[in-house]
Amino acid sequence: MTRWAMVADLRRCVGCQTCTAACKQKNGTPPGVQWRRVLDLEAGQYPEVKRVFMPVGCMHCDDPPCMAVCPSTATRKRADGIVTVDPALCIGCAYCAVACPYEARAKIDGIATKCTFCVERVDYGTASGLTPGVDPDATPACVNSCIASALHFGDADDPASNISRLLAENQHFRLHEDLGTGPGFYYLWDKSP
Amino acid sequence: MRRVPTYCYQCVAGPDLLTVKVSDGVATEVEPNFAAAAVHPGGGKVCVKAYGLVQKTYHPDRVLAPMKRTNPKKGKDEDPGFVPISWDEALDLISGKLRNIRSHGLLDESGYPRVAASFGGGGTPQSYMGSFPAFLAAWGPIDFGFGSGQGVKCYHSEHLYGELWQRGFTISPDTPLTNYLISCGANVEASGGVAGVWRHANARERGLRRVQVEPHLSVTGACSAEWLPIKPKTDAAFLYALAHVLVCEEKRERLDLEFLFRHTSAPYLVGPHGFYLRDPKTREPLIHASLEGSSLATAVEIGPDDEVLAQGELEGATAFTKLVAHLAPYSPEWAAGICDIRAETIRRIAREYLDAACVGQSIEIEGQALPYRPVAISLGKTVTNGWGGYECCWARTLLAALVGALEVPGGILGTTVRLNRPMSQRHASVARGPDGLMAFPFNKTDAAHWSARPNIRNAYRSMVPLAADGPWSQALGPTHFSWMFLDGTPEGLPPVTLPELWFVYRTNPAISFWDTEKLGERMARFPFVVAFAFTRDETNHFADILLPDAGDLESLQLIRIGGSKYIEQFWDHEGFALRQPAVAPRGEARDFTDIATALAERTGLLEKYNAAINKGTLGVVLGKHSLREDLAHDCETIWDAVCKAASAELTGGTQAQGLKWWKEHGLATKPFPRTAWYLFPTLKAQGLRFEMPYQERLARIGAELGRRLHEHGMYWWDKQLAEYQALPAWKDFPGEWEWAVSATGGKREEYPFWLLTARSMQYAWGGNVGMQMIKEVADNVAGHGGVIVNRGKAKELGIDEGQWVTIATPKAQVKAKAVLREGIRPDTLLLLGQFGHWATPVAKDFAMPSMNPLVPMSLELTDATGSGADIVKVSLGKAA
Repeated sequence: MTRWAMVADLRRCVGCQTCTAACKQKNGTPPGVQWRRVLDLEAGQYPEVKRVFMPVGCMHCDDPPCMAVCPSTATRKRADGIVTVDPALCIGCAYCAVACPYEARAKIDGIATKCTFCVERVDYGTASGLTPGVDPDATPACVNSCIASALHFGDADDPASNISRLLAENQHFRLHEDLGTGPGFYYLWDKSP
Repeated sequence: MRRVPTYCYQCVAGPDLLTVKVSDGVATEVEPNFAAAAVHPGGGKVCVKAYGLVQKTYHPDRVLAPMKRTNPKKGKDEDPGFVPISWDEALDLISGKLRNIRSHGLLDESGYPRVAASFGGGGTPQSYMGSFPAFLAAWGPIDFGFGSGQGVKCYHSEHLYGELWQRGFTISPDTPLTNYLISCGANVEASGGVAGVWRHANARERGLRRVQVEPHLSVTGACSAEWLPIKPKTDAAFLYALAHVLVCEEKRERLDLEFLFRHTSAPYLVGPHGFYLRDPKTREPLIHASLEGSSLATAVEIGPDDEVLAQGELEGATAFTKLVAHLAPYSPEWAAGICDIRAETIRRIAREYLDAACVGQSIEIEGQALPYRPVAISLGKTVTNGWGGYECCWARTLLAALVGALEVPGGILGTTVRLNRPMSQRHASVARGPDGLMAFPFNKTDAAHWSARPNIRNAYRSMVPLAADGPWSQALGPTHFSWMFLDGTPEGLPPVTLPELWFVYRTNPAISFWDTEKLGERMARFPFVVAFAFTRDETNHFADILLPDAGDLESLQLIRIGGSKYIEQFWDHEGFALRQPAVAPRGEARDFTDIATALAERTGLLEKYNAAINKGTLGVVLGKHSLREDLAHDCETIWDAVCKAASAELTGGTQAQGLKWWKEHGLATKPFPRTAWYLFPTLKAQGLRFEMPYQERLARIGAELGRRLHEHGMYWWDKQLAEYQALPAWKDFPGEWEWAVSATGGKREEYPFWLLTARSMQYAWGGNVGMQMIKEVADNVAGHGGVIVNRGKAKELGIDEGQWVTIATPKAQVKAKAVLREGIRPDTLLLLGQFGHWATPVAKDFAMPSMNPLVPMSLELTDATGSGADIVKVSLGKAA
């Protein structure tokens, strides 16, 4: 099987928003809609304070809460892990936006939208013998654009893939793992001991 | 769909390489140039700014036709009444003015050029102005010294002293090898460009420990191992204390004594008057048998103007001995009271630096064994300019010299040269100067050569010996003088006059310089301003003619890439890259090269213009591809010739690929040796020493400059003359700005906050403030929506998140929304970037102020290099 997933290396991310801009441009999202963005967070109190940059977006969950609440079956999950929205079926009820614990959805012209992992590139790549996450034409725009090489994309089920190697070599976590959503988005924060 | 290779050079940290997707003649998407990944030090990527280029191209408010002002009254509140005109009319108006100027002389009654030109930061506009430099070269004297930030709000002291000490216009860590980096305000993750971010991310992952020393927790601080919130403008005290620990507390043998003794001027004997003891016959400095100590010697001591101060049996102490005594008072305990960093922390940092220095180790680079010293100190804006800049640069270079980490693998490296010649060639610029040190093209201070008749209005040649006198020197003098002195020129200089014609391109001094309200008032007096305009903005609001040059994705130019260049562009390749029209110019926008050719033709300068192109003004000597000098060539013909010459240069003459080939491939390179990143081997080969720690030359030059000025009745530079010290002492640098409160009629206790600024990667240098998408993504980074205030301090003052506040000096005030953060000192406020727009479309609606209207433009806040700093004391209160 294939499980497309994304990895963000928090040691490398500088919060520059190049991924945000590349995503907006490639996907033509309107002003105010950001399928990919980088949070600028603080923890602690002056002077013991840390500032962290965290790329976020749709986590392409194993068990997406957005899909469970979708009354029109517009939101679906592919076998390769990518969560999709069929605009022809979406009725714009926004239940999905409310259900998503990652605030990853936005309505455009009455239709729910979100990060697609640039699915058409992935599909084009796999059909053309390219490797998503390695060949730029088969790789999400945010990953291609990342100037810190903090974002990575690949097949988490392939132990030889780029991201499987990163996950094996580094300590990582996923957001809100306690909710049981099974996010397909991993954050690296240090080398494995 | 096709992909068009091109480059982005919107900021000084470029150029970077990209491709543009074009569908049906429309640019739709910017992507990295993956084909360049193997040669570019940032993986062929481009930063967020480049993604704004599509919106820039199709900006609804672009100036798309030449425009003429119809309202003769100029002022911020006057509507210029711009109306569209034809290119013929615009060029006739400009060339008419230019011909008239030529007919009555290129210089005015004060001896200043009648034509002036201002371009934006760091020389980036030159990568967009096509062949205009050839027109400027053909014209003759031009005043490039009306600043918009350069020379004052840049890394000014680093530029000047960096070139003096290590041929570095800017200084960078050797990031791929550095293991321990102390970063005093250097915001490399925001201003280091793609190469900076890429190299530092790699370094962090491999284990680089970076300590960020800065009053606020910047983007760079966020990505650092440790943040030390230092009190503003006290970095010199912190660095002096580090040096104190190394020199006065640690065992001497832990320093790189071999390096200090053989490769620096540390063992030179200093005489009783503070100048080197010299051999009476050769007048060469006497070098002691060891690094430390003193001795009696038959010698002569020579002071300013070749005066013999003493001769005979003279006692001298080594420069290093002088240094030890000089640093003795600057203990961590002393510094702690100044910088608000605990003494034990300072001492720990000094020891970590020393522990990481690997003194005695070597590394092999391309088969050559070189010293390996993986420790570095980088300095940021406001640290490296204005009062205290000299001291910080000196201490940083000293700390490198103490452990031998100067221009060797892992240490601090110069990037390129802009004052020394040949331009951009660090190694070729190394020549033997006096006293076994590198030569430096100081402006002369001896009585026979110094002149009180400057060539341009900012008087860099008369006032700043370190600014040298090359093509970049005009922008590295006190560029605010050109503006200030319009309201009264100080004693001894010819009255500063208005230029009769001022060209403006990719710069906006009306919002980007100091004291912008007053600056605008002066700008309104300029009689004829020609602005190459993308949209309307605050500076071209005062223009007489607006000219729409074809944009970044619409025009043609070949530039050099690779080698080593600021800020972290260290390549293993060098060559050329082409910027080409991905799409047709919109409206009536014209390629800058065609505009320059038309101006040359209409002003009777065509032959000189073509000759300048042939001589290499566009970056390559054309040689056998030279253009006929009596013809007006179109843009493609000119760049085809440049492409062929560049191709020939790269291939040793075996190829001469023309424009068609370059349009297809976008770039071509050849290897650039890694060993060329390091200057130490070049100095060693020539038997030259680094000029550290003792600044005998600067002390002499300062004394001579003082004499010349006083001989001409010029006493208004005396405060600056005091900066010329052989061993610079700590002065109360923060006090300079506290004094400014009193001087402008305020009570110090009523202005308790330090207002600072920091670069924003999304905007810095880009001239892209009007792009909606850039604004949208920039707002994800804290501080783009208002003034950053310490959360605890805000609570104390009753200020809530998002509340409007007033930031004031005794003379001016601005309003901003409060952005509450923990990562800033309670006594510090931060306004990112340079906003405060009132004419630029989109940006004028940001309601985002700038510190620039609050910073006084004054002689007292100008240091000896002619530089000021982005810092001012302010009050903070809820807005009414």
